[in-house]
Amino acid sequence: MLSPYIPIAIFVVVATGFALFTLVFSGLLHPEKYNKVKLEPYECGIEPLTDARDRYSIRYYLVAMLFVIFDVETVFMFPWAVIFDKLLLFGLIEMLVFIFILVVGYYYAWQKGALEWV
Amino acid sequence: MHFPILTSLIVLPVAGAILVLFVRGDEEQSAPFVRKIALTVSVLIFAETLLLWSRFDPSSADFQFVERHAWIPAFGIQYFVGVDGISLLLLVLTGFLTPLALLSSWESVHEKTKAFSIFMLLLESAMMGVFISLDLFLFYVLWDAMLVPMYFLIGIWGYDRRIYAAVKFILYTMAASVMMLLAILGMAWLHLTTTGSYSFDLLRLYDLKVPPHLQFWFFLAFALAFAVKVPLFPFHTWLPDAHVEAPTAGSVILAGVMLKMGTYGFVRFAFPLFPEAASFFSPALAMLAVVGIVYGALVAMVQPDMKKLVAYSSVSHLGFVVLGIAAMNTQGVQGAVYQMLNHGVSTGGLFLIVGMLSDRRHTRQISEFGGLKKVTPHLVAAFLIVTLSSIGLPGLNGFVGEFLILLGAFRWDPRMAAFAATGVVLSATYMLWMFQRVNYGPVTNEKNTRLADLGRRERAIIVPIIALAVLMGVLPNLFLRPIEPSVARLVNRFHQNAPAHLQVDARPSAIGHQPSAISHQP
Amino acid sequence: MPPGISASDFYNILPELVLTSGALVVLIVDVLLPKERRGALAWVTLLAIGATLASLVPFRSTHVEVAQGLLAVDQFALFFKVVFLVAAAITVLMSVRYLEIEGASPGEYYFLILCATLGMMIMAGGIDLITIFIGLETMAVSFYILAGFIKPSHRSNEAAVKYFLLGAFSLGILLYGMSLMYGLSGTTNLRVMAAAFAGQETDARLVLAVILVVAGVGFKIAAVPFHMWAPDVYEGAPTPITAFLSVGSKAASFAMLIRIFLEGLPSMGHDWRLLFEALAIITMTVGNIAALTQSNVKRMLAYSSIAHAGYVLIGIVAGTSRGITATLVYLFIYAFMQLGAFAVIVGLRRADVAGEELKDFGGLHARNPFAAFAMLLFMLSLGGIPPTAGFMGKFWLFSAAIDAHYNWLAVIGVLNSAVSLYYYVRIVVFMYVKKEALGSEPATSPTLAVVLGVAVAATLVLGVYPRLLFELADASARTLGAAGVTTSLR
Repeated sequence: MLSPYIPIAIFVVVATGFALFTLVFSGLLHPEKYNKVKLEPYECGIEPLTDARDRYSIRYYLVAMLFVIFDVETVFMFPWAVIFDKLLLFGLIEMLVFIFILVVGYYYAWQKGALEWV
Repeated sequence: MHFPILTSLIVLPVAGAILVLFVRGDEEQSAPFVRKIALTVSVLIFAETLLLWSRFDPSSADFQFVERHAWIPAFGIQYFVGVDGISLLLLVLTGFLTPLALLSSWESVHEKTKAFSIFMLLLESAMMGVFISLDLFLFYVLWDAMLVPMYFLIGIWGYDRRIYAAVKFILYTMAASVMMLLAILGMAWLHLTTTGSYSFDLLRLYDLKVPPHLQFWFFLAFALAFAVKVPLFPFHTWLPDAHVEAPTAGSVILAGVMLKMGTYGFVRFAFPLFPEAASFFSPALAMLAVVGIVYGALVAMVQPDMKKLVAYSSVSHLGFVVLGIAAMNTQGVQGAVYQMLNHGVSTGGLFLIVGMLSDRRHTRQISEFGGLKKVTPHLVAAFLIVTLSSIGLPGLNGFVGEFLILLGAFRWDPRMAAFAATGVVLSATYMLWMFQRVNYGPVTNEKNTRLADLGRRERAIIVPIIALAVLMGVLPNLFLRPIEPSVARLVNRFHQNAPAHLQVDARPSAIGHQPSAISHQP
Repeated sequence: MPPGISASDFYNILPELVLTSGALVVLIVDVLLPKERRGALAWVTLLAIGATLASLVPFRSTHVEVAQGLLAVDQFALFFKVVFLVAAAITVLMSVRYLEIEGASPGEYYFLILCATLGMMIMAGGIDLITIFIGLETMAVSFYILAGFIKPSHRSNEAAVKYFLLGAFSLGILLYGMSLMYGLSGTTNLRVMAAAFAGQETDARLVLAVILVVAGVGFKIAAVPFHMWAPDVYEGAPTPITAFLSVGSKAASFAMLIRIFLEGLPSMGHDWRLLFEALAIITMTVGNIAALTQSNVKRMLAYSSIAHAGYVLIGIVAGTSRGITATLVYLFIYAFMQLGAFAVIVGLRRADVAGEELKDFGGLHARNPFAAFAMLLFMLSLGGIPPTAGFMGKFWLFSAAIDAHYNWLAVIGVLNSAVSLYYYVRIVVFMYVKKEALGSEPATSPTLAVVLGVAVAATLVLGVYPRLLFELADASARTLGAAGVTTSLR
């Protein structure tokens, strides 16, 4: 009854083992020399310019949220695109309705000034 | 189709209230007009009740002037009203007292007169409805609806502790009556299981055979609601508060009519619907009634406040009524119904007189008065007659009722009658003592020397009361005749269903038997 | 068109489509109108609600399943949809002046009210766990935002955060229960599920599922012990939203509850009846006792609304068609009296006075007789005193309980309604009896007067002539389930 789970169990064991092995093994091997530059955090290879505890404009969150909302629509569009040839006109209309509602929201956000960076 | 006279008794006051609602203008402009409208409407209703009486067939025990319409058919609920000998005179009493109560507040109520008149009329409508409804659901609706106007009458126009008294009044009586609602629902359900349809029709429920254990609980639920309303000792504690704080008009209606609803409920609903349980409980009820008679009288004796004294005397007097009902023989029940009317007239009269004194002096303390006989001879004369009628002097109304009740109680259980009879003596003591302290002796208080005697309005109030008291004392048969057939039928039916009631010695001796005890009786 | 969907499916969800379009129109009109004329949005919203109500007319006696059992279009759903739409319309009317005083922007507000209504309508129609959950989320998310709509008010913010956190948590529990139900039956459709569970022996895992779903639903209807959020949220949220929350959200959750338990789990009737019986008893008792000591009227009404959830549960426990009828009747009546009471509170709100404390009601009778009379009527009705609608509703509930032999439940119910009278009467004391206390001058507006007039008329008329409502509710209750009456209706 549980046999279908055996591959998953093996997978879990191997994955955990690999992660542990690399961490422990490199920890044993690497030389331990620290200096200031080496301990600095960096993002994407660029040196930090200011303190991380900085103020962001509230607009940042607004734009970020709008981005997420309009990004997620792709999740719905992708499966539709895959079986578009089966859904035909019906699918097209459905998707147009969907896009229309999104556009209303977009227009609303735009008119409300959510996209303006003061 | 004949004129729906009973419905008009409910509708007319409401119509009057709506009419008053539309009177424009501020307090000073509208008040006289509003008072006149309310009085006219209530006099009209009184005339209608008299018309009802004149058309009533006194030889029949049936319900007359019956009206029946479907209301909520899915549950067998009807608008079903009718009147028999027991309720007829209570209707007349209600019609009689309401105009007097309105007159009594002619000057003492001088703020929010409009609202006052509206509440009085709504109250009258609900009271009329309670006495004529023959559908248990309709009865309960009106029974509860009645509380709201009374609550406002006490709460807005009452004396110092009016808020406490009003809230206590509504919570106490409401809490007691909710169980009755469940019992009513239980009866409807029982009707469903035995006949296949719901019904709240009183006449059909009379014929229902209720199993003993259900009778036990249903009777308790009904009896609690009624006992609080009467009020039967030890459920009486709301009454002195409500009476003392209520305005005169409120007290008159409360004592004159509303207390009767409790005893009326026993006669109309609790006893005939659940005869076996009633037979089982009636010794206990009678015991409480007798305790109430003596206790009420003893407490009344030491009251410094006239209104409180009259309030406690009500507890005592209504004990007699319950005793008569518990005896469940023709004399007892007839006397009880008659005593309900008497109490309405004489206690209503007492409250009116106390109200007049309180209007003059703004106090009701007995010690504040004294020697009024010289100052206000007419008022004192009226006071004397009403006092004597309350005591039960032969020739006045109180005597007939008490005599019949004691007769009935004696036939049923002489011990009860013996104890109750002491109440008659005690009532003479406290009433006369109070009367003496207020009216005889020298004028001790400076302020009492210049009191006005009865005015025209006050004569108009007190003369009908005295006339009725004399009439009821001299010609009791005029009133007893329509009552008799209905009472006789009630008593006969009761004894058919609970034959154990008359056998004094076989009766269970103690209160608080196991519920199963009544099921052993045939 | 793909298999499983037909043109008639779209016709059958016409009311929902109309409402969605209406919501979008509100959003667009909001940005098109100049700022100072945005008060007109209320009328657009009312128009949308009216159009939706009109679009319900062709479905008076429809009894179909849409899209192979995602939604049911039947009279049961119809009854609730009318309740939601009427409640929404009354809420909108109440809000006009309130928003002006609070200085909140009306666009999103009305849009979110319409969205919440849409969610409720889907909940009432849903006979599939997924649909019900989507409806529930649509409603709940709208309410999270609406509760915090008065941005400068700390209490409003607190209300929103509390409601959101606890709401999200309870949804998780509900979802867990639903997933167990799905796992055990292999379907999300409630009617198929009922067939799958029928005749099965009780499974411990199913009992767990029932408990979890009861907890999740219990949160939504604010049943004790899942009620802790209600007083804070009710007190903090904008008053019209509190009214809508306590009426619409509660009614929708009861619709969902009836669908899930009576349509989906009739075979477990014994277990969930027991749970709901216990919930009803504690909910009534705790709600009423806690309400006794409140001095903030909104908070008091919150506790009273908890207690009322307890009364309504009596009808569910009875589970007979009379019980369900009583539930529907009560929710309908409750909508009017509760909305009316909140409308009076809205009327007392002025720029400088919150108008929520008991003392603000002091002497209201002298200052605004009609508002005082209306409040009196709502209080009497909530307390169950005849001849008001509340009495008729309670009467129906208790009679259903006695019919189904739940005598003790009825006894506890009436005792509780006697207790509740104390705090309802307290408001009346302040309005009519206390001469010295003087609260604020109520500011009425025509829309508010309309709300009060409608609520007063409904409370009185349904109290004297409830026959039509009873018959409609009865007909609606009988359409539950695929074949008409569900098997669990005894």
